[in-house]
Amino acid sequence: MIAIYVCAGIAVYAAIRVIAERNTMRKLPFLNVVSFAVTGIIALLLPHPITIAAAAAYFVGSTLESNAIASTWAGGIKKP
Amino acid sequence: MNDVVMFASVLLILIGMTAAIFNRDPFDKLISLSVLIAGVFPFIVERGFLDVAIATALIAPLSTIFTLMVCRRVQV
Repeated sequence: MIAIYVCAGIAVYAAIRVIAERNTMRKLPFLNVVSFAVTGIIALLLPHPITIAAAAAYFVGSTLESNAIASTWAGGIKKP
Repeated sequence: MNDVVMFASVLLILIGMTAAIFNRDPFDKLISLSVLIAGVFPFIVERGFLDVAIATALIAPLSTIFTLMVCRRVQV
């Protein structure tokens, strides 16, 4: 039962770090930390066998979203 | 029992909402919107709507990617 509390604490701390950070590039690792912590919350919240599928779907989706934001912000390959 | 976790999710939603209102850069707004969507998911899962959670987890990044196509930087 203590594990889900630790996940919730990590999620709130990383969200506070996201809004406290000024540089956009430094926000993105903390966004990934929020995604991992919420994945842990989803997996531990309900004792049901399909919960792991929901956690896996959220993990894939949030990682895709973070990487899409990061690669668009970086601007892609620079043409020489 | 789960009140602490639900309170943390409410904090996540409020933090994402406040940051999405007061940020000026569109990328910062998208990051804050991602934090807000992360806070919504424990409420969907807590009631047992796991199929809704799976569908939302796969559809929500698509909306972010479509928004990113608008605000990308122009190649010089």
